[in-house]
Amino acid sequence: MNEVLTETPTVADFARTFRRIQAEIHKVIIGHEQAVEELLSALFAGGHVLIEGVPGTGKTTLVKTLGLALNLSFNRIQFTVDLMPADITGTRVILSGEDGRREFTFQPGPAFCHILLGDEINRATPKTQSALLEAMAELQVTVSGTTYKLEPPYFVMATLNPIEMEGTYPLPEAQLDRFLFKVRLNYPDERELTRIISSTTGPEDAGIEPLFDISDAPQRIEGLKRLVRDVMVAPELEIYAARLVRATQPQNSRFVTDEAKGVHDEMVNRYVMFGSSPRGAQALILGAKVGALLDGRANIAREDIDRIAISGLAHRIMLNYAAHSDGIDAAHIVERVIKSVRAARV
Amino acid sequence: MSFPSQDRRADEKLSEKLGLILGRVGSVRLRLNSLALQHATLYTLAIAIATAAAIYATAYLLSPLAFLIFTPLISLLAILGIVSAIRAGWRMRASAVRAAAIADERAELKGRLSTIIALAHKPNHGTLWSYLVEDTLGYRDEFAPARIERRRISRAIYPFAGAIFLALLALPLSRLRHKPLIAPDAVSDLTVDLDDLHLRAAEPGDESGMQVNADPETMRRLQDKLARENPTGSDATGNSLNSLVNRARDMAGHFQSKLTGQQPPSKQRLNLRLADSGANAQGDQIRRAPDAKKNRHGDVAGQFKQDQPHSGAELNLPRQDDSRPPNKWPTPNRNGENGTELGSGKDNPSNQDAAIDRSIQQGGENGSNGGEGHGIGADPDSLFGAPAASKLGTEGFEIAIEARPIDHGAKGAGHAYVPPKVRTPLNLNQQPDEPVARAAVPAEDRATIKRVFER
Repeated sequence: MNEVLTETPTVADFARTFRRIQAEIHKVIIGHEQAVEELLSALFAGGHVLIEGVPGTGKTTLVKTLGLALNLSFNRIQFTVDLMPADITGTRVILSGEDGRREFTFQPGPAFCHILLGDEINRATPKTQSALLEAMAELQVTVSGTTYKLEPPYFVMATLNPIEMEGTYPLPEAQLDRFLFKVRLNYPDERELTRIISSTTGPEDAGIEPLFDISDAPQRIEGLKRLVRDVMVAPELEIYAARLVRATQPQNSRFVTDEAKGVHDEMVNRYVMFGSSPRGAQALILGAKVGALLDGRANIAREDIDRIAISGLAHRIMLNYAAHSDGIDAAHIVERVIKSVRAARV
Repeated sequence: MSFPSQDRRADEKLSEKLGLILGRVGSVRLRLNSLALQHATLYTLAIAIATAAAIYATAYLLSPLAFLIFTPLISLLAILGIVSAIRAGWRMRASAVRAAAIADERAELKGRLSTIIALAHKPNHGTLWSYLVEDTLGYRDEFAPARIERRRISRAIYPFAGAIFLALLALPLSRLRHKPLIAPDAVSDLTVDLDDLHLRAAEPGDESGMQVNADPETMRRLQDKLARENPTGSDATGNSLNSLVNRARDMAGHFQSKLTGQQPPSKQRLNLRLADSGANAQGDQIRRAPDAKKNRHGDVAGQFKQDQPHSGAELNLPRQDDSRPPNKWPTPNRNGENGTELGSGKDNPSNQDAAIDRSIQQGGENGSNGGEGHGIGADPDSLFGAPAASKLGTEGFEIAIEARPIDHGAKGAGHAYVPPKVRTPLNLNQQPDEPVARAAVPAEDRATIKRVFER
């Protein structure tokens, strides 16, 4: 049964729709509540998501379920070493017309959809990985000098397998930066695992009920995305987000210009090679806006930013060798940064 | 589809609601600023009152030099405290944005008020503005000023009350008075031969100077002697330092006097008349001035010390060639290291009075210890007697302990202890006691001496 939305969605509409989508997804996906929320937050914030998780944690199922619940077109690409960019974007092929003449015709690749799953993206070569860059950032692909627009909403979810690093190509920083959030899928706990077993080994599949008609689903989603953009932000919270991002940048970095104004934690200076880019601040505010709407507010609060900070900043922070040797990960750094910025708050 | 009139009415309603919110935030701000102002004012007053009380108390309790050091220190601390209190009050003041942020935090409004205050004056608010205003107004009871900040009176009232309490505690000190070191009308005669005196300027910080007053000729001679013994060129720096310290001390003393309303402990004042002046045979006495207030001009010459023992500055020692009138003071034990030491061996002239008093008292004691037959004691009735016929003194001395048996009842009745008299021989370093033999006292002086001892 399709969700009936008014033409201009309200805050209540947004929260209700969001919760409905969550509920549909959780018919299939057991657990991973935070991951699902962040995934949907990225969708409505207009970003893309990098999903990191060990095999068998439901990455592909999650993305597939989302496509079904939103009733949007969905494609999946399994990234391999020999995958070529044209395999993603599409290519021009010679086709015979009705009049018998042969001509080059553009055959769209799997990138042409609403929801794209790039499975194990780090198995493809950087050249292929970067083929997604233009699509993700500008919602267009260029093939043989011709630019083709992608239809919004466009949502890319890429998965990373963190344990099979042999023969993989870590994502370049520029491409990592284009993902709004990085969502981590951990192993389910015993209770969740029991539910997974019982729900997936029975004769019946969980029926996913689309929330929107296929005809107006993109418009509905776009309407909700516009509502997210309308959420108001007090200037002091913009400053707070900026400080968080700046605090991830090590003081000794040659790219940090005014050192005096930054809030630099000792841990950041010691373990971080490069901090977050300005896209990190955008991610914080957009994620916070979604969080505010879910809470029934038309304004963001500091808590909204803090809640989304690890997902929005951690994958943008490049750690140095000392951090790896000391077992420090980016999430630790972000937590420390939040504490230090809050402590330095006037 | 809405009509323009409906839109206008909706805008008016929205403005009205926004006004309500802004008004409440304004009230919160007013209360916060009132507390900030109270904080600064009350702390400033508390520090000022406590400092004044401390200065007032120390004016009674400390010497001028200590007061001189303490007062600027505590004043500096007070100034620092006042500055920091004012700064703290200034930091506590709340702008509208800050008041909204505080209200957000205390009422857990999650930034609603801050956002409204920040965006209220912007032209384009977006589609969710009306929702935000409505939503926030729904929490209007949560951000009422009384709920955001319950206090109307700052906590700074407590230190303020404490300071007042301290000040009240300091008030009883005004009943205390410095007991004058020297009674203004005390009289002590000191016979000094000016030629035997060694004079030097007082050390800085020396609280026991003596003011000497004399006729101009005497003062001139004293100053000449002082100048001879303390050449200006050799100790110019020290003299100027002394002068500065003395001036500072005087200033502190005056300040103390103003605060306490009492005169600073006056220095010992002496009226000096030359003993070696042939024209004025009576001027060989140094006497204390009867009226201290009239004799404030002898400070320079008055700061002198006597370093030479037995230099002739003896207390009422009869001189064979002296034509002055007979002594008005009894002569204490000559070898009793009392009266004679006082005039000669004491560095500090101001202590002479006390020493004189002691000498009188100890002289009496010596009289009773050294031999009752000498008649030298505090009892005016036994002051005079027949002159000693022979040299007094023995080859030893006796210590007699007077003790009486005390009846402790049946338990201790049989154990009363009667101390024996012990006679101890002198060792090699001891000399036999030689009390001054009683001298013949002229009959016309006896009444005067007796009157002095009666006092």
